Amino acid sequence: MDERQQKFELYLDEKIAACKQRTKLLTEDDRVDEGNFEKVRANVYEIFRTILSVAERTCGKDDLAKRRFFLQKAEQIPTGWKTSYKDAKQHGDVKKMHIEDIKLDTVQEIKDMCMQIWEETT
Amino acid sequence: MTEAEAINLFKCLADKSRLQILKSLAVEDMYVERLAERLGLTAPTISFHLKKLSDAGAVTAYKNQYYMMYSLKKEIFQTSILEILQQESDEAQKQAQRDADYRQRVIDAFFEYGKLKSIPTQLKKERIVLEVIAEAFDFDRMYSEREVNIMIADFHDDFCTIRRDLVGERLLGRNGTEYWRIKNN
Repeated sequence: MDERQQKFELYLDEKIAACKQRTKLLTEDDRVDEGNFEKVRANVYEIFRTILSVAERTCGKDDLAKRRFFLQKAEQIPTGWKTSYKDAKQHGDVKKMHIEDIKLDTVQEIKDMCMQIWEETT
Repeated sequence: MTEAEAINLFKCLADKSRLQILKSLAVEDMYVERLAERLGLTAPTISFHLKKLSDAGAVTAYKNQYYMMYSLKKEIFQTSILEILQQESDEAQKQAQRDADYRQRVIDAFFEYGKLKSIPTQLKKERIVLEVIAEAFDFDRMYSEREVNIMIADFHDDFCTIRRDLVGERLLGRNGTEYWRIKNN
């Protein structure tokens, strides 16, 4: 496994662990809804952690192909979330809007980090 | 406030962030960004909490120039918890129906063709059985002990026990040798 992949995996693992820790703390602090929002964030990191593993298996040692595969998924997956956000906004469903917003924010952050890691080490 | 509204409000209040929002609004009316800054939360998170509080009837919003201001709905918090508890429950009708069904099951189990098969050992069941027997007595009429015994004997042979329990349960009154049916609510 190359250095970039390792760095990216470490980043995702740390993010997942941090979200889980925040969920625990928020729940203990009687902020259950905010704790649940952290779970949503952790789920997004976990989805992309899985995609990274799939990219590794699918593309082997071809580093550029791995990056392309990953970013392509990072574009495809949130399309449903964007639609969901629009629907929620139309119906004034603030909770759903907030959840979709968290998912979209998180995926954007993951994409930015992916590009940053690949550029840093190119 | 209905029972459903009270449950919704209590659920809504059982959150530290929402309680902090309400505490801030108790000081003065505020807009989302101001609350976000004050409480160290993001504006979307504050909006989410305000929507919940608004749905629970705890806050209200009004437009002030460019801002949507939020304020505490003080009348909701002036309601005492005791007042909420004293409200008639949405469940009252269902509870009454369940009680009536239970009563009927006891009557069906202990009476056969108008005769009492046995005296229930459980006090709650015995009370129901005694209430049925007491219905044989008219209000506003005095009965001699002999009359009472004969009337109870139509239900069960052990008229002494039942007569004593009818008096004990305050279904019949007794004054020397005379008995009468007591009106219960």
